[in-house]
Amino acid sequence: MEALVIGSGIAGMACALRLAKQGIHVVLASPYPSERSQSVMAAGGINAMVSGNEEGDSVESHIQDTLKGGSGLGGEEAVRGMCEHGGEIIRYLESIGTVFSVDGANKPVRRAFGGQSHKRTYYCGSATGKQIVSALAMECRRFEAFGMITRRLRCSFHSALIRDGAAYGALLYDEASARLEACYADFLVMATGGQNALFGKTTGSSLCDGYAAGRLFMQGAVLKNLEFIQYHPTTLETAQKKMLISEAVRGEGGRLFYVENGERVYFMEEKYGKRGNLMTRDVISREIYATGKDVYLDISFLDGQTIDERLPEVRDICIKYRGIDIKKEPIPVSPSVHFFMGGLAVHLNHETSLRNLFAVGECASIYHGANRLGGNSLLSAIYSGFVAADEIAGRAPARKYPDFTAFMEDERRLLKKSSASKSTFPVFYIRDMLSMTMAEHLGIVRDEKGLEEGLTDIGYYLSIAEKIRYDRSVPAYSNFSLKPILCIAGATLASARERRESRGAHFRSDYPETLERYGYATLVSYQDGKFQIRPDQEHAYES
Amino acid sequence: MKVNVLRRMTPEQEPYWESFLYDGSEDNTVAGLLDYINYNDDILNDKGEKTTRISWECSCIQGICGACAMIVNDVPALACEAFLKDIQGEEISLRPLSKFPVIRDLVVDRSGIYDSLRHNNVCIETYKPPSDGDHEQDYASAKCLKCGLCIECCPKYTDGRTFYGAPFANDCYLVASRNQEKSHEILEIYQEHFKDSCAFDLACMRICPMGIKITACMKKLNSLK
Repeated sequence: MEALVIGSGIAGMACALRLAKQGIHVVLASPYPSERSQSVMAAGGINAMVSGNEEGDSVESHIQDTLKGGSGLGGEEAVRGMCEHGGEIIRYLESIGTVFSVDGANKPVRRAFGGQSHKRTYYCGSATGKQIVSALAMECRRFEAFGMITRRLRCSFHSALIRDGAAYGALLYDEASARLEACYADFLVMATGGQNALFGKTTGSSLCDGYAAGRLFMQGAVLKNLEFIQYHPTTLETAQKKMLISEAVRGEGGRLFYVENGERVYFMEEKYGKRGNLMTRDVISREIYATGKDVYLDISFLDGQTIDERLPEVRDICIKYRGIDIKKEPIPVSPSVHFFMGGLAVHLNHETSLRNLFAVGECASIYHGANRLGGNSLLSAIYSGFVAADEIAGRAPARKYPDFTAFMEDERRLLKKSSASKSTFPVFYIRDMLSMTMAEHLGIVRDEKGLEEGLTDIGYYLSIAEKIRYDRSVPAYSNFSLKPILCIAGATLASARERRESRGAHFRSDYPETLERYGYATLVSYQDGKFQIRPDQEHAYES
Repeated sequence: MKVNVLRRMTPEQEPYWESFLYDGSEDNTVAGLLDYINYNDDILNDKGEKTTRISWECSCIQGICGACAMIVNDVPALACEAFLKDIQGEEISLRPLSKFPVIRDLVVDRSGIYDSLRHNNVCIETYKPPSDGDHEQDYASAKCLKCGLCIECCPKYTDGRTFYGAPFANDCYLVASRNQEKSHEILEIYQEHFKDSCAFDLACMRICPMGIKITACMKKLNSLK
């Protein structure tokens, strides 16, 4: 039996390892090594109920916090499974060598995170994602050494091999040979992350652009809840990008304020009480937006040693990129796109609308509903990888792979045609226009008019995208990825337009109330170039 | 500012220098500079001739993924952390890391780092940490980016066939610190592929963007029996 996992961040590696342990050979394909994945940028921590957590905490309260944070759109059964396995996942991560922050007795310690009733976020300084990636990468190496995991680097997902509603592997674009290659597999697992780059340079990796989900969407996969985009409330503006200032800062007591008449106004505490700085990210982002002022995050009152021990990466980013010493001065912060609750619609077993095609990690939409709690992304990345792997291990392999020769020849011909271009027009001109459209019309506050305008923009970009010849001196991926990226952007705007209410991270100034009739996930399909939106009233997908 | 880039379109092509004029912000890093130069319909060199976009690798753009390692004015650095305001003079030179095969322009193939670790089974297997662990060093070592800057400045590293450089020693340390039962096995490969050839120049430690103290790793490994 053979599985092809696309993407080698935390979710992809977790899935590959679980598959390999059960005797299934895995091809783990990605353009770059795991160290370059967006997972290394996850900072704050991973939530779990483990015996020894503070008094009163329970798996049940983790479940309820997660569902509440998701404003009723998180998959309850899925969330239950994830939270019930939190302790097991922490122990697993320890067993493969993850260097958690520990107390004097060498026991992992926890910090408070937003929207949680108890302190249950385990962490590794403020580089939790990096530490987990390092441990998983070393564990993968063990399985690579005896041939159960085969890494394929310098190759990009191009399209899935789909016949009669089932996947049989993927076409990969191999950069070294500049060719499309078929990689057949009994099961295809997508672990390609979120759609950050639709918005230009966000807190995430420039490599996470939504192409894979967009291409699968065009090939028949259903997408879900795309309108729910998390703006992280505290990011630092630099010349290069918006850099994440981890929620760990607020978890350690950091206070948000603005200045009025020379006085600090701790607006979150004034409105929500002493835990105001630890409200959920959607709430804080909207409150910062509503101030209309420059907002700061202060942690300078904490003693220097604690900052060095618990927030060294935040300290380093601020001093390196802005010359700000967080031990002495507050950090200027503003919200920025950070996480996508929406993505490929999956069932409880993480299979998409297409048979034998699975999605795990941020590219799948299942646990986080309308808004994700900090600390739940790392947990869901690993848990989802495990769930998909266990499902695959219980399945029978494909009896025979269909013949995809005609499909491959068509795609190769298209690629060859585009590579014959003598144009110097950069595809990034259109990508930048797209970023501006998304930032303008899919911000923290949206309205019908803006969303319509955004859809008009996307319609225009799509109308010209295939007529233009692009510079072929850049990697072919940059060019062939454009249309699916535009399609997922359009589907996102269309989903946001159809949800005429406010819920979680989706706030409509023209429909500010949460309405019961919208208490369903949004599903979107691609048919004849149109985005077909429908509410999941039958609960066809886990929500 | 004049920007001199050592270019080649394919691994087989002979490298050549091409210069560009940069008139963007001084607040930029080298990463920002490369984006700036590439962001035009026609990419022109300093002679006004049309040329191709400069290839380079990036992901996080904030110094935690290691993708954009290159040589900036003869010093190995991460492009996203090399600020133009810190550059002396009116010219800047950009070269690909020289210890790895060049794929194109500033993009190199660093898979050798992973091959050496995989071929020598540098992995924990069973979690049995020693009682006298050094948590601070474990944390620092697990932050290794595998960016290759340390290898670039190592006087002993040549082709990576026998001496594997600091990333190898670093991961050997991580294994020893997580599984004491593997100490003997790890010690042998560490000695063969690192210690016996290391010149103790310690340029690797000075250049490491994560500030990993390789001497602490070596001290721990050298104490194994």
